[in-house]
Amino acid sequence: MLEHSNPARKAPSRVVIIGAGGFVGGAISACLTADKVPMLPLTRQELDLLKPEAAATLQRLLRADDSVVFVSALAPTRNNGMLIDNLRMAEAVCAALATQPVAQLAYISSDAVYSDDANPVTERSCQQPSSLHGVMHLAREIMLRTTLKLPLAILRPTLIYGAKDPHNGYGPNRFRLLAAKGEVITLFGEGEEKRDHVHVDDVAALVSAVLHHRSKGVLNIATGRSASFREVAEMVVALSPRSVEIRGTPRQNPITYRHFDITDGLKAFPEFRYVPLREGLARVAKESA
Amino acid sequence: MSAPVVGFAGLTHLGLVSALAVASKGFRVVGYDADAARVRDIAAGRLPVVEPGLDELARGCAQRISFSSQVKDLGACDLVYISTDVPTDDRGQSDLSGISASIAQVIASLSPRALLVVLCQVPPGFTRALPLPSERLFYQVETLVFGRAVERATRPERYIVGCADPGKALPEAFAAVLGAFGCPILPMRYESAELAKIAINCCLVASVTIANTLAELSERIGADWREIVPALKLDARIGQGAYLAPGLGIAGGNLERDLVTIARLSQETGSEASVILAFVANSRHRRDWATRVLHEEVRKADALIGILGLAYKENTHSTKNSPSLALISTLAPWRLKVYDPVVPAAAANHPRAQGAASALAAAEGVDALAIMTPWPAFRELKPADLARVMAGRTVLDPYRVLDERAAVAAGLDYLTLGAPPRRAKEHRYA
Repeated sequence: MLEHSNPARKAPSRVVIIGAGGFVGGAISACLTADKVPMLPLTRQELDLLKPEAAATLQRLLRADDSVVFVSALAPTRNNGMLIDNLRMAEAVCAALATQPVAQLAYISSDAVYSDDANPVTERSCQQPSSLHGVMHLAREIMLRTTLKLPLAILRPTLIYGAKDPHNGYGPNRFRLLAAKGEVITLFGEGEEKRDHVHVDDVAALVSAVLHHRSKGVLNIATGRSASFREVAEMVVALSPRSVEIRGTPRQNPITYRHFDITDGLKAFPEFRYVPLREGLARVAKESA
Repeated sequence: MSAPVVGFAGLTHLGLVSALAVASKGFRVVGYDADAARVRDIAAGRLPVVEPGLDELARGCAQRISFSSQVKDLGACDLVYISTDVPTDDRGQSDLSGISASIAQVIASLSPRALLVVLCQVPPGFTRALPLPSERLFYQVETLVFGRAVERATRPERYIVGCADPGKALPEAFAAVLGAFGCPILPMRYESAELAKIAINCCLVASVTIANTLAELSERIGADWREIVPALKLDARIGQGAYLAPGLGIAGGNLERDLVTIARLSQETGSEASVILAFVANSRHRRDWATRVLHEEVRKADALIGILGLAYKENTHSTKNSPSLALISTLAPWRLKVYDPVVPAAAANHPRAQGAASALAAAEGVDALAIMTPWPAFRELKPADLARVMAGRTVLDPYRVLDERAAVAAGLDYLTLGAPPRRAKEHRYA
């Protein structure tokens, strides 16, 4: 549950985005630009967190009244080396912020920290990741929480989609790319698994809200409505000008589901409304046309 | 011996109703409370609690009961019940400092042979630790149910008594008082009785949690939990009295207190109690049903929401852990119109809430209406009247106060616990 230090929205003095060049970081940067928030966007060019001097570089860039968004990660974390590198990146951020405290830190984590069978997922669900990616985010959360004495907001988005998504992961983005080429969309099994998909602009808007309210605590970022992969594929195909086949395959793994109870989000930001999946996919189709 | 004089220390909801129940059986009763203003009000017939039948009960035994704010007046009693409230903190943990101080005062005022009976919810081990000889010290399980307090106090199904030696007969004065109610008396060790109270509540919570869990599933798969309940109640292993009505979590505070106590004792002793934590999580989830539904249904930024009921349940003025107040606390963006037959609108504690003069007035012009307490008076509302005065169509009726068919027929979208939403456009009842 988030607690707001600012009950009413108040623009932060300056927001430093660590990882502004990425898919999510770029969306956050665009959102804050639209909100006219002073910003220092840091991409790998300005700050490579894997370099030995990263902590000192970051420390020099920070001011006490900054709000920092830490969204930089090597993702998804597929192997031990990536895991260690991601933790080294977090170590650098911890070291910088330990010597130069700031007004607020927002860490963009992931719902991968939760146990696979934690349905419906809430912010209090068991954190027992089954993937290196989830372990990485949970370890980073704990590093930040135990090292730093400053208002910390941990945001755990579920599967994010958007026109600029660079990944080709199973779901809206891959389906869209296949549909654009007129290729068959192949489902795992019949695509029965249900997942919650959140538009990257919603992630950015909620990060902006967290910064404006100088919130601390934990918040999941999910719409509260899960759809099966087949439904997602059908929505994508319906938006495509091409005729695209959706094809099932013999199931190799048990069907799993992920649903969210988003009550904490409703309480934290009662005015906020997520973009419904169908509408979000249409937005993506339009932007990528 | 002559009929014992019975004292009650703490004119709380529990204390007042229990004192009047004992007086109604012909015993002389002294009701003590340190709050002089409260004592004056009660003595003048202005009872601080609302319960069906309570005023009549008080009038019927006025000659046998006296009230005092002087603890020394308990010195005339043969038997004194401790009936103070034991408050809980935000985490549901009991604060025992008040009751401990109260007991110390009362013990100092007792006559040398008077008995002390702890009637409040205390954790196992509390009674045995009190500084009074065990032959004068007892614990009695209270089973107060808000809204049914008089019925349960005057016609208890049994008495559970904690004592040092359950093999010994109860003292004459205590046996006389309990015997007047004509129900079974079950003596047991202090700790057993204290745990029995918690066990009762845990069983009730288990039933309610099952009902809430399956009611939510019913909402999503097209079943109607209301149709299932009679089938369960006809099963002798479940029974007619089973708590199977779905609700908005576990309200009222006392049940949560017991869950917290069990969780704590299990942590301390290493016993396995994960189901207790599951009860708590489910309660929290279902308490917010109305929040989720309202935010899903109402998309207008400047919506006006009507709230009927602020009390945590019908026939009580208590708002402790009220689902209605929990809902209201999540409705910051919207304007509210609120009405409760007993609780003042100010209890809503919402910057944009205004009180209404009646239930129907609270529905006038609203985009959505939530009936959050099943007050009997709300059952008189006609859906057609609501549909006429409301601006929107959405009605949340978790406790099925309204006639569902009439609501849908009147053009309302009807959302309740345990069944899928019934939308006027989709349902045409024959």
